[in-house]
Amino acid sequence: MEIEFPQGLPGFEHERRFTLSQPSEFAPLVRLQSIASPAVSLWTAPVDAVDPDYALDLSEDDLHVLGFDPARPPRPGLDIQCLVILCATENGPLTANLLAPVVINLRNRRAVQSVRSDRRYSHQHPLSGEAAC
Amino acid sequence: MLVIRRRPGECLVIADQVEIEVLDATSSQVKLGIRAPRAVSVLRKEIHLTRNQNRAAAHELTPAAMGRLRESLIAARPSHAASSEPVPDSCPGRPSPPEP
Repeated sequence: MEIEFPQGLPGFEHERRFTLSQPSEFAPLVRLQSIASPAVSLWTAPVDAVDPDYALDLSEDDLHVLGFDPARPPRPGLDIQCLVILCATENGPLTANLLAPVVINLRNRRAVQSVRSDRRYSHQHPLSGEAAC
Repeated sequence: MLVIRRRPGECLVIADQVEIEVLDATSSQVKLGIRAPRAVSVLRKEIHLTRNQNRAAAHELTPAAMGRLRESLIAARPSHAASSEPVPDSCPGRPSPPEP
């Protein structure tokens, strides 16, 4: 599936179009790869695979970019899909960025990395089985 | 950490280059104005953290790293071992009406 980030992602502001794929041998991992720069490849997972109780909090700006009316918030799984970007460094801790989930509007395939301004979640949330760092 | 008390209308100067003015303050929020040379990057901290995290994450993973990632997610939710939430293309049952 091809998706568009109208604002890019922090650190990759010029990368707007990405493909989303889920190779079955890597499930539940989902790959996000820039079409213009295939070297920009991020591995993600559905947020509920990392934290089933995650409380998504989209700002009005994010809703606008995605094309939703702030008065009618989108329903996860039906209107939107929410992924978190995973980070795995060689022999380092495995972490997920819960501070800034990737939210995709399933109707128009527009996406945004929604960076929270509260301190509820970490940008380096340790994955289970991994020691907190 | 250096702590300085300032009132609205008062300023700070950092390294002779960056000027920060307190424009307004309420009990829950402070509004700041920043004057800095174009070359100086000014970002909200959460954007800065996410930018660095995205750059650290955006590379090919070794098969060993992929295996560790999968195992940690599957360990967290055994039900995800066999079938996780699919991406929309592989989920024909999901409604997808045309754009209005």
